[in-house]
This record gives sequence, C-alpha cells and structure tokens, in this order.
Amino acid sequence: MWTQIVFGVCAAGSVATGVAVFRVDSMARATFALLASFLFAAGTILLLNLAYLGVLVVLMMIMEMVVMVVFMLMYMMNPAGLTPMTMVHNQKGSLAIAGGVFAALAACIFLVPWPTSGQPRPADPTRALGEALMGSKMLVMMVLGLCLFATMVATVVLATHRGRYDRYGDALRAKRPDDPVRGGLDR
Amino acid sequence: MTLQEYLLLAAALFSVGLYGALSQQSIVMIMMGLELMANAVIVGGAAFWYFASPARPDGQVVVLVAVTLMAVDMAIGFAVTTAIFRRRDIDVTDSAADLKG
Amino acid sequence: MTLWLLIALPLVGGTALLVAGRPADRVAPAVGVAAAVVTVVLAVVAAVSRPEVSAPLLSGLRIGLAVDGLSAVMVLTVAVVLVAVLVFAAGEFGADESRARFHGLMLVFAGAMLVTVTARDLVVLLMAWEVMGACSYALIGFWWREDHRVGSGTLAFLTTRTADLGLYLAAGAALAGGVAGLTLAGLPTAADGWRDVVAAGIVLAAAGKSAQLPFSFWLSRAMDGPSPVSALLHSATMVAAGAYLLLRLEPLLAATAWASTVVAWVGVLTALILGAVAVVQRDLKQVLAASTCSQIGFMVLAAGAGGPAAGAGQLVAHAATKSLLFLGAGAWLVGLGTKDLRRLEGAARRYPFLGVVFTIGALTLAGVPPLSIWVSKDAVLATALADSPALYVVGLAAALVSGAYAGRVLAIVWKPADTPGSPLSRLLLWPLPVLAAAAALLGIGGLPVLADRFARLVGGPEVPAPTWVELAASGLIAVIGVAAAAAWTRSRTPESRVLADWLHLERATRMAVAQPVVRLAAGLARFDDRVVDGGVRAAAATGAALGRLATLRVEVSIDGVVRGIAGGARALGRWAPRPQTGQLHHYYAQAAVALGVLAVLLMIL
Repeated sequence: MWTQIVFGVCAAGSVATGVAVFRVDSMARATFALLASFLFAAGTILLLNLAYLGVLVVLMMIMEMVVMVVFMLMYMMNPAGLTPMTMVHNQKGSLAIAGGVFAALAACIFLVPWPTSGQPRPADPTRALGEALMGSKMLVMMVLGLCLFATMVATVVLATHRGRYDRYGDALRAKRPDDPVRGGLDR
Repeated sequence: MTLQEYLLLAAALFSVGLYGALSQQSIVMIMMGLELMANAVIVGGAAFWYFASPARPDGQVVVLVAVTLMAVDMAIGFAVTTAIFRRRDIDVTDSAADLKG
Repeated sequence: MTLWLLIALPLVGGTALLVAGRPADRVAPAVGVAAAVVTVVLAVVAAVSRPEVSAPLLSGLRIGLAVDGLSAVMVLTVAVVLVAVLVFAAGEFGADESRARFHGLMLVFAGAMLVTVTARDLVVLLMAWEVMGACSYALIGFWWREDHRVGSGTLAFLTTRTADLGLYLAAGAALAGGVAGLTLAGLPTAADGWRDVVAAGIVLAAAGKSAQLPFSFWLSRAMDGPSPVSALLHSATMVAAGAYLLLRLEPLLAATAWASTVVAWVGVLTALILGAVAVVQRDLKQVLAASTCSQIGFMVLAAGAGGPAAGAGQLVAHAATKSLLFLGAGAWLVGLGTKDLRRLEGAARRYPFLGVVFTIGALTLAGVPPLSIWVSKDAVLATALADSPALYVVGLAAALVSGAYAGRVLAIVWKPADTPGSPLSRLLLWPLPVLAAAAALLGIGGLPVLADRFARLVGGPEVPAPTWVELAASGLIAVIGVAAAAAWTRSRTPESRVLADWLHLERATRMAVAQPVVRLAAGLARFDDRVVDGGVRAAAATGAALGRLATLRVEVSIDGVVRGIAGGARALGRWAPRPQTGQLHHYYAQAAVALGVLAVLLMIL
C-alpha cells in the first residue's frame, strides 16, 4: 500500500519535472529540474529492491548536473531567467511525433502479454550483479571501460584550444614551441 | 506496482525526452532530452529485471550500461559544443547546417 | 573438215577485220580478196567431195551442215560472185573510207550465206538468216553520216525481220508437229495441221526476204547502199536466199494442198507487176532492183510449180547477170557521178568497154537467145505449163515486160555522146568480163545432156524439158520486147505514178502497219506512265502522308509521354535533397518516424 503511494508520487514527480525542464526560462533551473527528474526515477528503482543501482543513479546524476550547470552558464545567455525565453523549432511536429510515440508505446504496453517469471527473487541483487560483472558479463565491463577511456581522449582532443600542431607548426620535434599566442603548456 | 505502471512511466519519460530532443535549438537542451530518454531506459530495464527475470542479472547490467552511456554522451556533447563555439561562436544547431543538400 | 573451213574462213576473217577497225583499213581489201579466193577454192573442193558434218547444239537439236547437189551449186555461185564484188570494191572505195568495216561485213555476210545454203536444220538456218539480215542493215547504211541511207537500212531490216517471224512460227509449229531435230528434210513429215502452219511460215519468210509482193518496197530503199552491196546482197545472194529456201523445201510445198499454188501465183504475179514497175523507173539502180524482184519471181514460180532444178538454174544465171549489171552501174556512178537515167544518156559510148559488157548483161536479162537466162527462164516456164496454163501465159507476159525494161535502158545508154569519161580504176573493170562470160555461156547448161545431169544433181520431181516451140516463142517475145522498148524510148518515156512509186507499197505499209504499232506503243507508254507509275507514286505519296500524320499525332503523344517521364524524374530529383536540410532536429525527427514505421512493420509481420 505504501509502496504504491510512494511509487505514484515518484512517477508523477519524475514526469512533471521532466516536462518542466523544457518549460522553465532559466538554464540553471532546467538543469536542476532534470536532476529532480532523475532523483524521482531513482526513487522508483529503490522501490524495486535495487539499492545499489538507485544510489548509483543518484550520485552520478548529482555530479553530472552540477557539471552541466557550469557548461550551461558558459554557453547560454539569460542564466538567471530574468527574461522569458523559449528557443524551439518545429514544436508542433515534435509534439506530434512525441505524442504518437507515447500512444504507440502505451498501446504496446497494454496489449502485449508480458512474460512473468516464477523464480524467486534473489535476496542480494547487488551481489548477483557484482558476480555477473566479474564473471559472465566481464566483456561488458571491459567494453565500458574502454568506452570511458576513449571518451576521455576524444573530449580532450576536441576541446583543446591550441594543440601541438598549432603551437609547434611544422617543426614538431623542436624543444621549445614557436607559438605567437602566449600561455599553454611546455613553457 | 505492476510491470505496466513502470513501463508506462518509462514510456512517458521517453516521450518527453523525444519532444525535447526534437524541438530544442540549443545543443545543451537537446542533450537534456537525450538524458531523459536514457532515464526512461534505466527505469524500463530495472522494471523488466524485477518483474520478468529477477534470477538473472541481465537487467541490472542494462541499467549500468545506460548510466555509463549518459556520462559518455554528455562528455562528448560538451566537447563538440566547445569546439563549435570556439570556431563559430554559436551554440545552436540551426547554424550547423553543413550537411544541407 | 572442208565444210567447217569453208564456213569458218569468211566468218572468222570478217570478224577479225571488224574487230580490228580503222587501223586495218590499209590491208582490208587485200585480206578480203584473199579470203574470197580461198573460199572459192574450198567451195570447189566441197562441191566435189560433198561433205556432211554435224555438231551438238541443244538437247535434241544439232547443227547439221551438208553439201548436196543444190547446195553445191549455191556454194559455188556465192563464192564466185563474192570474189568479183570484193575486187570491184577494192577499186571503188578510196583510202579514207572504212574499208575494214566494209570488207569485214561482206565476209561475215558471205559466211552466213554459206551456212544458209548448206544448213540441214531449221535452227541453223534461222541463225544464219538473222545474221544475213543484220549484215544487210549494216551494209545498206554503210555511209551512216547520211540519215536517209540509215533510214533505208532500218526499213529494209524491219521489213525482212517482220517477215522472218514466219520462220520462227514455222520452227515452233515443226516442234509441235513432232519433226525430229527440226531437219529441213523432215518438215513434210510433220502432223497435218502443223504442217500447214509450217508451210505458211516458210512462205511468209521467203516472200519477205526475196522482196516478193507485198514486201517488194524494201528492195527499192536498199539501193541506197554502195554498189558492191547491191551487187552481192540484193541481187545474187540474200534476196535469192528466200527463193533457195522455197526450192529446198519444194517437197513440203507439194505435200501441203494450198502452198504450192499460192507460191506459184505470188511468184508469177510479182514477175509481171514488178517488171512493169521496172519499165517506168527513172533511176538505173531502181530499174535493176525491180528487175531483181521480177526475176526472183520466176524462181519462186519454179518452186511452186514443182521444178527445183529449173529454179536453181534461173538462180545461177540471174546471179551472174544481175551482179554484172549492178557492178556496171556502180562503175558509171564512180565515173560519171550519177545513176539518174536522164543523165546517163550516152554513157555506153563514153565508156565503150563498160558499155559492151553492160549490153551483154542487159540482153541476157531480157532473155534473148542463146544467152543463159533464155534457157533457164524457159525451163521455169515449161514447169509452169506442166502445172497450169494460166501460169504459163502470165509468165510469158512477164518475159515480154523484162525485155521491155532491158531494151529501154539499152536505148538510153547508147544514145550519142560526145566526150569520153574520166578513166576508171582497173580493179573496177576486171571482174566484169568474167561475170559477162558466165552470164552468156551458162546457157550451155540448157543442152539436154547437161540439163538432165543438172536436174539429177539438184533433185526434185521429174519435169518435162521445154519444147522447141516454147523456146522459140519465148525468144521471139524477148526480142520483140527489146526492140519495141528501144523504139518507143526514142519518142517518149512512159509515165505512171503508181508504178513509179512501186505501187505505193511503202506508204501503204507505213500507214497500215507502222503507224498503228507506233500509236499502240505510245498508248501503252501513256498507260504505263499514268496507271502503273501513278500507282507507284500514289503508294509513295500515301506512305509520305501517313508519315506526316504519324509525326503530327502519334509521335507528339509518344514524345509527350517520354517527356512526361523525364520531367517526372527531374521533379523527383529536385525533391530528393529536400529532406537533407542540414538541421539536426530534422534528421532526428526523420529517424524517429522511420524507426516507428519499422517497429510497426516488424510487429505486423
């Protein structure tokens, strides 16, 4: 009974804050609305006896949103929301597509005979996840690790202002860079 | 708490995220839409694990992958935005119409 | 072998001269006379040895040549006259005339005539007959720069060629009538109805070639050729070929009921009427031409009455006489430049030697005893009497008339004259005495012993020899005719427009035959142009009109379809890049819709 109420609150809150992301005027508020949406979603996950995953989601989302707030403020004007702002394009089309997708998915949800499992639920799902990741799902682990590493390298490469090709020019093995723009590494 | 309720929640989150990804002009706002869609995957994955096959940890692995995905895509997205901003001093996708035609 | 040589030598020699053309002009007379002399030798050998040869031609037909009695006589006659004429021609033609062409044509003609008289099959006869006609055309029109002469040659050729259709008809009827190999000896054995057709064809062809009525007019026009041509072709040989054919086929004429009668009457009427025509002519060569028709009429009479030996004798005698007379006229033409009788007055006194020789010929022609034609004509008249007295009477009348024209000519040429003529080449005069001797002395053949041997040589049915009464009668009539004409010519010249114009035969033929044919041809040509060509042109115009219609209607719509397809493709091409806006959200929206459609499809399927 209590779980049902909590679930309902969390679900409604998640969707509402999700909608709010795109309705508020300020970028900072949008970011925090998104954070709220994630927290509510994590709440529903906690209700499924997935303690580790719920906490993981909470922690990760807090970190991400905070980082995102910094970037938002860097790139967008009107951070405090003092003036109303909507920057949308193709709103009607998007609404139509989104509405159509939701209708299709809802129809599927209610029409498809979902399978039920008769097996008992494990007492410690976290342990089961850990054993799986270190055992039969090791490949997933490794791919995720590689993926993260690749992302790090890619982002640094993309975001570097002036790389060594800009600073050294043609003489890549020179001891000191010949860079007209002062500052940077290797000084 | 039934499977259908959870899935309905996931579908709603997905639709909202899709609306955002399609309608927003700013790159960062598009990314927020993508985050919401990944959020829907997280909820859906967890629900399927709990109701359809709790004995196997595959559902949890899906959730983990989705979380990692969110982190990765945010990182790359911001790197690309920085690169474009440095080059052209804009942060909306409408100007990046290089693939037109 | 002798026979093949006899045939081949003039033919090959003539062809060689014709092919060589103008460059051979200098040697042509010598070659011609030499070939003629060798031909005489070969003819004597052939006449003595009587060879017989044959060669295959088509399946069932052979080329058969043989020298029997009649052919031996003919072969000798042709060869001797050929020599005389070619010697004369060597003297007549100057250095700038095409002597090679002349001698070549004369030799080819002589070869064809020899084939004609030795032929045993209708096919060979026909081929040689046609070659003779062609050579006659070429020789009459020898001086081709003058249109009138060429016109005469064409008229002569067309007339004889039309009559030759009779020979083709006869050949076809003989083939249908079942004559094996188309041999001349086998013609009387054809089936009954076909035999009549064969006889009709032969009579028609012979009448045409020999210038009997009603074909006589072509011989008048043929006098436009040179004198040697007139002497050889149109007196001694070619026109005699028709008579020869009738003499050869006398058994066929006898086997058919009507043919011999028709032939005899045609011959005797020609002899009488053409003799009358000869009396009123103003031109010496025209007199001789009409006289040729008349004398050949006697030969034809002999064939019809059933006396081939008599006819053969008349043929030989006439050949010698008439060629002599024509060569004499030719010599006067060269010396005095005219053949008009009014201007030839006294020609005999101006050229005495020529005058004497010509007189011998003319008296022979008249039938004055004891010269050759008196003997041969009497043999013919005896045959006619044995057949029908009416024929005999008309024949006597013809003899009177022949005396008349000969006497008239003699009276004119022996009129007093003052100046002698310019000298003539000796070549012109040498052949003449030989021919005169032959003309005079062949009368010896009339002696009974020789006549019997001659009759047996030629063959044919038994005919009574002429009695002394008949001989005397005809001789007297001839003398009377000559004297009367001589006396009467001194006073005045007889006039008759109809006879002078050769009975208007040429004009009648032109109106009755030539003009309708030409008009029919013109009508057919118009039909061809309007109807046949018109049909073709109409088909072409229809095709072109359909083409234009197709271009306007059909091609436009087909083009429209093609253009529509092309325009549609172009429009599609213009629409294709429109989804590629470069806008990211557009691409997202398209991807979302596409994925949704795919999901629905997967679920359905």
